[in-house]
Amino acid sequence: MKRFASLALGLLAGSWLAAASAAAEELNLFAWSEYVPQSVLDGFTKETGIQVNYETYASNEEMLAKLVSGAASYDVIQPSEYTIEAMVKEKMLVPLDHKKLPNLKNIGKEYWGQPHDPKLEYSVPYLQGTVGIVINTEKVKDPVTGYEDVFQPKYKGRIVILDDALEVVTWALATEGLGPDAVTKANLEKVRPVLTKWLPLVKVYDSDSPKTALLNGDVDLGIVWSGEAAILIQEQGKKFAYVLPKEGGHMFIDNLAIPKGSENVDVAHQFINYVMRPDVSRKISEDFPYTNPNVEARKLLTPEERANPASYPPGNPKLSTFRDIGPLAADVDKLFTDAKAKSGS
Amino acid sequence: MTFVRRLFATWTGFVFLFFYLPIFILVLFSFNQSRLNIVWTGFTLEWYATLWRDTVLVRTLKNSLIVATATTVVSVVLGTAGGWLLHRFRYRASSFLETLVFMPMIVPEVILGVSLLILFVTIGLQLGYTTIVISHVTFCFPFVMAAVQARLAGLDPSLEEAALDLGATPLQAFTKVLVPYLMPAIVSGALMTFTLSLDELIVTYFTASAGTRTLPLEIFGRVKKGLDPSLNAISTVLIAVTVLAVFLTEMLRRRNP
Amino acid sequence: MRQEATGFSAAAGGPRRAPGRIGWLLLAPLMLWVLAFVLAPALIMFVYSFWERTALGSPVPAFVLDNYENVFDPVYLQIVIRSILYAGITTVICLAAGYPVAYLIGRASPNWRNLLLMAVMVPFWTSFLIRTYAWVTILKSEGLLNSLLVQMRLITEPLEMLYTPGAVVLGLVYTFLPFMILPIYSSVEKLDGALIEAALDLGAGPLRAFSRVIVPLTSPGIAAGVLLVFVPALGIYAVNDILGGGRVDMIGNIIENQFKSARNWPFGAALGTTLLVTFALIYGFVNRRQRATFS
Repeated sequence: MKRFASLALGLLAGSWLAAASAAAEELNLFAWSEYVPQSVLDGFTKETGIQVNYETYASNEEMLAKLVSGAASYDVIQPSEYTIEAMVKEKMLVPLDHKKLPNLKNIGKEYWGQPHDPKLEYSVPYLQGTVGIVINTEKVKDPVTGYEDVFQPKYKGRIVILDDALEVVTWALATEGLGPDAVTKANLEKVRPVLTKWLPLVKVYDSDSPKTALLNGDVDLGIVWSGEAAILIQEQGKKFAYVLPKEGGHMFIDNLAIPKGSENVDVAHQFINYVMRPDVSRKISEDFPYTNPNVEARKLLTPEERANPASYPPGNPKLSTFRDIGPLAADVDKLFTDAKAKSGS
Repeated sequence: MTFVRRLFATWTGFVFLFFYLPIFILVLFSFNQSRLNIVWTGFTLEWYATLWRDTVLVRTLKNSLIVATATTVVSVVLGTAGGWLLHRFRYRASSFLETLVFMPMIVPEVILGVSLLILFVTIGLQLGYTTIVISHVTFCFPFVMAAVQARLAGLDPSLEEAALDLGATPLQAFTKVLVPYLMPAIVSGALMTFTLSLDELIVTYFTASAGTRTLPLEIFGRVKKGLDPSLNAISTVLIAVTVLAVFLTEMLRRRNP
Repeated sequence: MRQEATGFSAAAGGPRRAPGRIGWLLLAPLMLWVLAFVLAPALIMFVYSFWERTALGSPVPAFVLDNYENVFDPVYLQIVIRSILYAGITTVICLAAGYPVAYLIGRASPNWRNLLLMAVMVPFWTSFLIRTYAWVTILKSEGLLNSLLVQMRLITEPLEMLYTPGAVVLGLVYTFLPFMILPIYSSVEKLDGALIEAALDLGAGPLRAFSRVIVPLTSPGIAAGVLLVFVPALGIYAVNDILGGGRVDMIGNIIENQFKSARNWPFGAALGTTLLVTFALIYGFVNRRQRATFS
């Protein structure tokens, strides 16, 4: 018993020492899990000698929770567009110095002028994606072009959708001709019957890995992140098709930003500029088949990657980003919770 | 009696089958060719090969083991001491203390994590091994204490009395008589603690730092990309290593009773 | 002096020795720990439950009762009831399934005992995420169980086992069974073998011996097990999420949501406080029953 204790203490002390020996200059990166390739981080360290500490989160709000509590100082974070909007309102971000970001010119023109940060004063797009309909073409033969086509009684128990209150509510709003900027208490009540009609048809709610249910054969179609669909198409080819809903789909933009409280603002700028280099950005796309906002990096992609309809949807689909809905987030959650609970199980 | 024993033994067999079925699957799939943990496509050892190169995964495993060990040590001390003291002495604060001790087991992990995080920030404690171990111990040692208390509930008081009568000091009575008696409870509590700590996700999320990432955090992060079999591989390695360690300890114990 | 000191200590309750300075000194580390890392965070949460929130959801000093009003809103009450139901069913199944196992291990020879205990715990040294996804692989339409049943010609069409309430209960029982087995085991282990022999020899069938003698003697272990299963099961959020296909929301999920997408920490804190108070009441009640039985 005593030996065990001293062994444990020894281990603890040893690891403390190991943890204490850190590099001179460091960058604290706080980003989505599995969203920044290790090779990109290693490349940065090799070129600049700066160690990158990669801490991860699985949702924007988790990131906010840790940030707001003031526990640690982060230098670069990776919020989605509506979170950027919220953080700008709360003055939580450091304005970017474009002079330190020469590679900003590689970003596509369509990413300027977006409602959350029109002049890219606080953020730089990292990867973009959509939320769309994925169909198992072997099981679903009828055409599916929008939300209404998905939520038909004949697909009852064969549908997977994201477990995301805001997403589902905006889809419902879209079928009523309203956009993501129309989230109000009145409109929420308006779409309540839509949700009541839709949710009993759903078999699985999954935001982490919706492709699982599709691969399992437990569901035949669903509304999922484009990256998930892209992986399905990469793995199983023509079996799966990806369609953007005609009523209007969600385009999300994940960005890099610098939170107030960073002690390495210059290094943070360096990192952001590094990520926007075409070869680096291309590496990111290789691992994560979302849409790359870096025009120069896109030129470096393989034809297969460019042809993946989930990564680069053809045509001119109707897409919009989410807006920050502030305190209404609670009402959205309540509506979704209620509709889910009443849909029976 | 043997009929009952046989009945229970058969039932226990089924229960163990139940316990080990997913483990069997997870070990099996660590040899699966497909990257996605869903369909079996063929046999391969590549995931084990990549483990060596996957320094992140190995490092997080090491962190988890360190944290779990430290947590178990502290929890056993706190839990045993607490269980015995509350049994032996009549403190006015007994019920209050007990309720407090068992509270972390009920508080949903998100709340525990957030409130502990805020506490650490307020007192200026840097996130790292210390904070993780503190948070783990806080909801683990109640298990040790509960086990110890349950066992003490049937303690024959004359046992301790006899020891003292025979000239033992209170300390000797404690270590030579009470602790051996409590061993089953301590062992079961320690096992529970080690397990809980190894598996802990949410509270650790809030109280860890980038340098002290644990294995569950790493796995949780990788779920998005699809649980690739290298995670199965490391879990298999973990099981193999701990089972081996356990067997060795058991062998040693039998050789030096 | 010693006589009166140890004379009544047979029970968890009843008069015990008054602590001297040594008693308090020894208790100090525990008290400090609990005050610092349990009471303080709980107080923080309690205070937050009365606050309002910022646009981001984090708490802002105020004093409102809205959050508690929300706790009793029918929308959330239906989920509370469901959680109690699932936690209750899980506890009952764990008790029924776990007792024989705990009994067997408790009565086993010392060599077997530790090995069996390890055997119980080893599966749980793997990440619960991986374990739960392993169940997905087993239960899905094209999964192992269905393939087996079809091959054995017991069924013609695959059964829909995954993403059902049954799958959730299975997952919950799987997660919590060790929590029931271990405390009961430690209670069984201290049973006097002679007493059990006597109970069985006195002509009582095994069923009688069990229900009248053995089970009551192990009631502290059972009580501990029930508490260790029922209460945490109420706060579960991940197992039911994965195995229920996200359709079986429980209190744990609701609370988590408040700290995430719903951006309503104070409401989350109110739910948490309510849960805590409920627990304290149940625990106090069970404790008092235990002491009454033994004194």
